[in-house]
This record gives sequence, structure tokens and C-alpha cells, in this order.
Amino acid sequence: MRQDRTHWHAMLLTLLLAGFAGPARAADPALVAAAQKEGQVVWYTTQIINQLVRPMIAGFEKRYPGIKIDAVRANATDTAIKLLNEGKAGRAQADIFDGTSTVVPLKQAGLVMRYVPDSAKALPASYVDKEGYWAATNLYVNTPGYNTSLVPKGSEPRTLADLLDPKWRGHMAWGSTESSSAGPGFIGTLLADQGEDKAMAYLKRLAGQKLVNINLSAREILDQVISGEYPVALQIFNHHAVISAKKGAPVDWIPLEPATGVLSVVSVTKDAPHPNAAKLLMDFLIGKEGQAIYRDTDYLPADPAVPPTVPKLIPEIGKFRARFFTPEETAAGMPHWMKIFQELFR
Amino acid sequence: MRPARRGLVDGQTALVAALLALLLAVLVLPPLYLLLQGAVTDAAGALTTRNFATALGGRLFLDSLVNTVLFAAGSAALALVVGTVTAWIVERTNTPLKGLAYLTTVISLGTPYVLYVGAWLLLLGKAGPINQLWREWTGGFDPLINVYSLPGMILVEGLLWSPLVFLLIGASLRSFNPELEEAARMSGAGLWRTIRRITLGLSLPAMLALAMLVFIRAFEAFEVPALVGMPGRVYVLTTDIYQTMRSMPPDFGSASAFSVIMLAIVLVLLLFYGRLSRHAERFATVTGKGFRAKRLDIGWLRWPAAAILLVNFLVLLAVPIAMLVWASLLPFYQPLSRRALGLLTIANYRTVFAAEFLPLALNTVLVGLAAASAVILLTLFASWLSVRRAPGGWLAERLAMAPLVFPGIVLGVAVMQIFLRVPIPIYGTLWILIWAFIISYLPYGMRYSASGMLQIHRELEEVAAISGASPLTRLRRIVAPLLGPSLLAGWLFIFLLAARALSLPILLAGPRSQTMAVAMYDLWSNGQGTELAALGLLWTGLMTLIAVIFYMLTRRSAAGAAHN
Repeated sequence: MRQDRTHWHAMLLTLLLAGFAGPARAADPALVAAAQKEGQVVWYTTQIINQLVRPMIAGFEKRYPGIKIDAVRANATDTAIKLLNEGKAGRAQADIFDGTSTVVPLKQAGLVMRYVPDSAKALPASYVDKEGYWAATNLYVNTPGYNTSLVPKGSEPRTLADLLDPKWRGHMAWGSTESSSAGPGFIGTLLADQGEDKAMAYLKRLAGQKLVNINLSAREILDQVISGEYPVALQIFNHHAVISAKKGAPVDWIPLEPATGVLSVVSVTKDAPHPNAAKLLMDFLIGKEGQAIYRDTDYLPADPAVPPTVPKLIPEIGKFRARFFTPEETAAGMPHWMKIFQELFR
Repeated sequence: MRPARRGLVDGQTALVAALLALLLAVLVLPPLYLLLQGAVTDAAGALTTRNFATALGGRLFLDSLVNTVLFAAGSAALALVVGTVTAWIVERTNTPLKGLAYLTTVISLGTPYVLYVGAWLLLLGKAGPINQLWREWTGGFDPLINVYSLPGMILVEGLLWSPLVFLLIGASLRSFNPELEEAARMSGAGLWRTIRRITLGLSLPAMLALAMLVFIRAFEAFEVPALVGMPGRVYVLTTDIYQTMRSMPPDFGSASAFSVIMLAIVLVLLLFYGRLSRHAERFATVTGKGFRAKRLDIGWLRWPAAAILLVNFLVLLAVPIAMLVWASLLPFYQPLSRRALGLLTIANYRTVFAAEFLPLALNTVLVGLAAASAVILLTLFASWLSVRRAPGGWLAERLAMAPLVFPGIVLGVAVMQIFLRVPIPIYGTLWILIWAFIISYLPYGMRYSASGMLQIHRELEEVAAISGASPLTRLRRIVAPLLGPSLLAGWLFIFLLAARALSLPILLAGPRSQTMAVAMYDLWSNGQGTELAALGLLWTGLMTLIAVIFYMLTRRSAAGAAHN
């Protein structure tokens, strides 16, 4: 109830202040004041620090002076475990967290605040949780990537059938974590795309290719591709390949079908020590200013009004087939995908 | 002998023993209890055998077990050979270039494993210079050496542990009475015979103890199995536990069951070890008699010995550092090539200085200082009671050695569970890290103080006791000063160990209590490897400075102790 009233106040104040705040939609000044009083916000993130988190912190701290962000980066499972434990003890450390599907078990454990900022109104309906626990900040598209020095352009594997070529045997890497940007995500996408029987028949053949399991983030696996450890990696983030290629790295991504599409979503924790600053950061990430930072760092912004710098990274625009998963769908499928991964590829 | 032994034990000692045992029990038993309880109960708290069934029933359990044993044995053997040879050359002979061995050891002890393993992977990995040359030669993708294999893991782990062996064996060789070697030479024994019968013979208990220590630590190692083993699909027990803990929701039950299985194995090893060191008194070499440490003249063999030191220096230090320097100057890692030369930049160093790494450094130093000081103090008492066979000494030793059974990752989870349950609000602060580190490093403190203690003959204390000194006075005036070098070396070692530890703090560090190694792991797993190299080099430089200062202190007090 109280939340609704705050919400209503916010709308009214926003309307009143619109004339003074300039082009960017202003956040509720009461929220800003309360957040500035808290002075800090702890962000458990799965995003990459030097690509996105640092520019985002700089942007936020510049926009809202006096609020310091402490960002802690870990992979999705580690983040979820930390949050679960802190919640169990009633000693929440994090104010806000992001991930592709970790919000689901945390929501079930009652650790997530039902909060979506006004700025989420700009997002397509499917990018905001119907129950109101999360909203998307950006899109991830997982495809293969390859080292262009080791694999001359044109000779890279472009189809599922190409991946079975004996010349790639033992030379393809992917992540072994419980994630959509790792082996299990590839498996889940294939199951959804081709049906259980056909997908399993293919996966059994793929297992013969002796894929290299790497227990690191897809970003690090792509770096190993760039350094020449592996010529090809599966389930990397396609925008990471673009970011590295811009810096001069010998790397490119492959629009192999079916690609995996997931959302990176953000939520405020139920017992956030700094709830106002957390709400303000969530609003900033989803709002126009945050979305512009996603765009400028070559990520894929969730807001359709903020097109990415490289549009063809998006399946609809790049014209390659992808299967999309909501956080709930990923969380529901993951145990099964992980089981297949363990059985065939460990 | 009997009355004198009783004379060393009195009311004061009994009180110390009781307090110490209580303190150690509070530290060590809760995590053990949690693991045992976790292993036999399900999520709802009901008794179950399902956790063991899951752990043992996995079709690859036997594979992992065999891999673990081979890995640990291979690493222990390699570390022991490399470390002992180096230590003997440095401490007991007149070989030149000894400085290199100290430099290598001191720097390698200050280097986080993540960084070290990363550097060797750059060297030996598929993109390393060796395989790169091979690939250019053959034109294919297949590497010449596959470091992501069991032999690769043993090589890296064995090399990682050799500085520890060097340091510990060196400490016992340094306080070694050369008269014994001289007597052997004068009685007509050749150099090899002297080494074999006297030097090795007298060092045997220390070496066996060390072999066991390295074996157990490799048994529980995490960094190398994770970074080297898992990409090559070589799984060991710790990586199995890790995988179990990393699934969502974390399966604390199966992980506990795994841990209990490991605990049982290690317990057997420890019993075996206890049997070995029972007659340690026979090997006491620091007695009431004065001696001057004198080195053996090994003649022309000095030169091949110096070559060994040089190779050791290159492999353990120079080449990995060179690889890191190269990586730290690149925006993303590339093998050496003309194209890569065009990419060189100091951007990583700029980022490292600009980013908020100073609090991390402070956290790390604080945690190291606190943990090392507490461990040394506790284990000084524990080893004294244990070596002097005081009542409660056996218990204190067992308790202090018990944490050997904990893999870092499991102890991390156990300690976390404790502070999530008890209402002591240290979760997410530096205190929880310090608490966990103290538990984890008690066995190291024991090894340092007990191995030094074994060499101090009880006759020194017996004389003081007859002159009316109380047990605590004897500990303070006789034992502690004589142990000074061992204690300082132990303190230094634990400090450096805590400063670079990863698997323990990774689950315990809160948003504002991260340590350097955790930050480095984040950088590594986030694909900021070149930034990691820059940060790692700067951090290693700082740690080396600290290590050098303490090492010099150790050396001076060692010399002082010999003069007094």
C-alpha cells in the first residue's frame, strides 16, 4: 500500500518537476534525497567490470553525487549462493543484484523486493516480470566465436553440422558452469529448438567432438580463444566478440542457428540495507541514461528506443534464428540441461 | 628420565593446557561438527544416507579418487625432490648463487596461486611459446605438450609447493650440528655416503613429515585442479565437491559427505604420520652443546649445483614473471608476434592504480597480520605441550592438526554456516576471514613450531626447571628465543599464505572485505587477465618487499640464536 502511495507521489512529482529536470526523466526527488542520505549501494553483479560496470558506476555517481556504488562481481551461481546465505541469516549485504535466472530461486526464497521502477514502462511487456520482481537491463545473445588468426574467415563452422567436422575435434571450448552462457545453455537451446529426440541424437554426436569444459565465465573463455588457446568457443556473448575486435583482437562471432537469447535482469533485495539507493540505481540502469551507457559500451540495451551500436547482434535484425528464454524458463530447464551436460560432456 | 619428565609438568602447565584445548576446540570443532551433521542429514534435518549414496554413487567417484591420489603423490614427490635438493645445496654446501634460491622462494611465497598458475599456463598452454612454435612448425591446432592433464597438474602443483619444502627443510638443515657430518667425513665416509647416512638420515623425520604435509595439501588443493585439471577433464575430489557446491541450490549434503570421506582418508594418513614421528627425540640436534654452523666443501660439484639453482630460479621465477610482464602490457593476451608488439600499452597499470585496489591491499595485510600472529601464538603453546608430552598436549596437537582435513572451499562453507547460525555479527566482515584463516593455518604453525621444538633438547629446560623456573618462564626465556627463527619463519609463511589464499576467502569475503586474491580471481574469471597480470606484479612486488624484510629478520635472529 505504502509503496503504491510513494509511487503515486513519484508520478505527481515527476510531472511537476518535468519542466526543471531537462530532457532526462528525473527520478523521484524524495527517493534521490533518501538515497543520498544512505550514501551507498552494494551491487552484486554478473556483468563484466571493465566493460560495463566501471562506466556504469562512473555515470551513476556523476548523476547522483554522494552515492557510492560498491560492485562485487561473481558468476550467477556464486551470487545466488551468497544471497541465499545472507538471506537465511537475516544479514543481507547486497542491495541490488543482476543475473539471467538467479532471481527465480531467490524470489521463491522470499529474498527479492517486489519493485520495478517507472523507467521500466519503456520496456516491452516481456522484459518486465509480471509479478513485479525484476526488469531487464539488457539482452544477451550466445553464439559461437572464433579466433580469426587461427581460423581464416570463411572456414569457421557456420552450422550445427559444421561443428561435427572432425577437424574441430578437441579444439572447441565452452563453459561448464550452470549457466545459459555455457554448455548447459547450448543444450537447452537445442532441446527447445529441435525437440528432445533430435536434439539428443545430435548432442551424442557432439559429445564425440571432445569439447573442452572450462570453469570460467564466457568472457574469459573468449579471451582464451583470442590468445589462441582454442580456435573456437561455443556459447560466448556475441557482443563481447565485437568489443574485443574493436580493440584489435583477432576474433569474430558466428550467427550459428539456433542462438540463445536471454535477458539480464535486475532486482532489489528484500532486506536491502540501502533500499532507496538500490531503487535509484535500478531506475538508473533501466532508464535512458543507463541504457545509453549499455549502448555506448557495445551492449544490447533492453529499451527498444535505444538501438545498439551494432544492430546485427540482435537475432531479428541480424536475421538468424534464436530461442529466447525468460529467467523462469531458464531456471526451470537448467536442472535437466545440467544433467545432460554431466552425462554426455563431463 | 621419569622423575625429570614429571618435573616439567605442574599446575601452571595444566591450566595452560586446559585453556588452550578449549580455545582450539572452539575454533576447530564447530566446522567439523557441521560437516558431519550436514553429511548425515537432509535439507529438512532428518537422518539420511542419501548424501553418501549420491557422493559415492556418482559413476566417476573412483576415477576422481585415483586421480586425487596420483596427483597428490606426484606433487609431493616432485616438491620434495626439488625443495630438498635446493635446500641442501643452499644450507649445507659452499655453492655460489645461493641468493637466487632465496629470491625465488621469497617471491614465489608472495605470489598468489591464481597468478602463478596463470603464468605457467601462459608458458605451457596451447597459446604458450612452446606450443606456438610447434603449431607453426606443423601447421595444425594440435599442441606438443598438453598441460591440461594429470602430468601437467602434477608439474604445476609440485613446483608450487617446492618453495615450502625448501623453506621448511632449510630451517631444519640450518640448525643441524655439522660436527656429525664432519665426524663422518673424518671417519673416512665419502661425500655421498655422508649425505645419505648422516644428512638424509637425520632429516628423514622432517622430510617424511613434509612429504605428508604436501601430500595432504595437494590432496585438498583447489587452484590447480580447477585451473589446470578441469579444462582437461581431470577431476579430483575437491573439484567434485566444488561442482556439487556450485549447483543451484548448493548441495551442502553431498559436499559434506565428500568432505567426510576426504576427512577419513586424511585421518588415516595422519595416524600413519603420528606413528612415524613418535621417536622424534632420537633426532634432536640442538642440544646444550654449542656449535657453529659450517658448510660442507663439495669441490667442483659446486658448479653443477649452481646450475641447478639457476634452473630452479628460471623455472620458478624468471620465466613466469617474464610472461606476466608481457601479458600486463597488452590490452588482451596475445602470443609474442610483431602484430602483438604494436599493441603494447601501459593502460592496465593505469587502470590498476585508478581503480579501488588500495582497500583490497589493506584488507589483505590486516587479515594476514592477525591470522599469522594468532596462529603462531596458539601453536607455540600447543607444540610445546605436545612435544614435552604434557597432559593435554596430545589433545592440543590433534586439535591444531585437525584442520588439515579441510579443503579451503569446504572450510569456507562450514565457517560461513557457523556465522549464519550463531548470533555473532561478523558475517561479511574481515573478522570472519581471520577466524577461518586461523583455523586453516593452525597445522602450518604446528609444523614450524613443532619441528623446531623437536630439535631443542629437553635437557635445556630441565636445567632451568632445576634452577626453579616455572613452565611459562621456561617457555618465555628458553624455548621461545631458541625457537625464534622457526617462529618468525612460520609467521612469515602464514602471513604470505593468507595474503594469497583464494579458496577459503572466496565464499567468505563480503562486499567490503575482499582480499587481493579474491579480486585477482574475479579479474581472471571476468576475462581481465591482462589487468590481473599488472595488478599481480605490483602486488607480488609489495609482498616480496615484506617477505624480504621478514626473511632478513629471520636470518639475523637465526645467527643470533647460534651465537648466544
